[in-house]
Amino acid sequence: MGIFDFMTGRKKPTPGEVAKERLKVVLAHDRLKVNPELLEQIKTDLLAVISRRLEVEEQHVQVIIARDDRWDKLHADVPIKRQKISFEWDPPAYTPAANALRGDKIRVEVERLEDE
Amino acid sequence: MDSRVLTITSGKGGVGKTTTTANLGTALAMQGKKVAVVDSDIGLRNLDAVLGLENRIVYDLVDVVEGQCRLRQALIKDKRLPELYLLPAAQTRDKNAINSIQMEQLCQQLRQEFDFVLIDSPAGIEQGFRNAIVGADEIIIVANPEMASVRDADRIIGLVEAAGKPEPRLVLNRLRPEMVRRGDMMDVADVIEVLSIELIGIVPEDEMIIVAINKGEPIVYEKRSRAGSAYINAAQRIIGKEVPLEEVEEAPTLMERLRRFVGIGPSMTEKRVRS
Repeated sequence: MGIFDFMTGRKKPTPGEVAKERLKVVLAHDRLKVNPELLEQIKTDLLAVISRRLEVEEQHVQVIIARDDRWDKLHADVPIKRQKISFEWDPPAYTPAANALRGDKIRVEVERLEDE
Repeated sequence: MDSRVLTITSGKGGVGKTTTTANLGTALAMQGKKVAVVDSDIGLRNLDAVLGLENRIVYDLVDVVEGQCRLRQALIKDKRLPELYLLPAAQTRDKNAINSIQMEQLCQQLRQEFDFVLIDSPAGIEQGFRNAIVGADEIIIVANPEMASVRDADRIIGLVEAAGKPEPRLVLNRLRPEMVRRGDMMDVADVIEVLSIELIGIVPEDEMIIVAINKGEPIVYEKRSRAGSAYINAAQRIIGKEVPLEEVEEAPTLMERLRRFVGIGPSMTEKRVRS
């Protein structure tokens, strides 16, 4: 890594590395005889299951087959929608900080952020 | 009789099957082995020209299979090596002119006479390919370090396994060291990792190969050629001699090292090819 790379902390893959990564994906597909329709079905099924519990960014869901040294792997990338979670909090009595707040209920709002 | 039948195949066309067959065959014959090289690319005869024997053909593989002549009549003796013979392909027929049973019988016949039988397979995965591998003890896959070729090689590996043959081995052909060094081409280790296959030869791209084919002389005769010595080494490995795999990459130039240091060249992460 050169000193500029070191400073910016990023490394652009070389065309050789890109070819290798693309090959891994395409060979995994070839070997498993997985076609895009099948992956699309798996994606639909996964979405149905996951969205029962979580709100999912449906347009950004990705299901791919990839290959590492030992296994062909199914990778599902399922981004979760940013959501506001709010709840009432009754601070416990035994914490010193909470003593000052006794009797009041505090409204807490948390915004969940997914890395994008 | 410990005769060995090896088929050289690739899936993709134009990766160097015929050149590899001609040069491995010649190199094995130079080692004192009795060798037959067989052109099974019926309709697209080329091995004869690579060996410079195109003017001597009287009978061909299909004639032998159909009983028009005896095997010995069709075999053409090499110009230089008395122990090297060519069985040429028919030029006027197509891949369906013979079937797998006939090809297997032909291989059996050739085993009686030779230490090594090298079969040059046609491109593709159809009948011609299946005929080429049916009688083989070992399969050698030729691939170039680029996507289409490696992908096809992977397909061939699957088909060879499905045919019940032992695991094929790889000749990685037309590697361009300066491109690998720049990171513009997959290196040997990348291809081996992706295909999980045993490597038997690394042949660098070499302009002298075209000159050699133009002259009808296999490159293994050319002492200065890196491709020629790579084929000789591969032949040694086929015989079972321990020859270390070539170090393909050239040392980076001073300018490249400088550029890498300041981070505007390919990364310095160890890309040395040793596999």
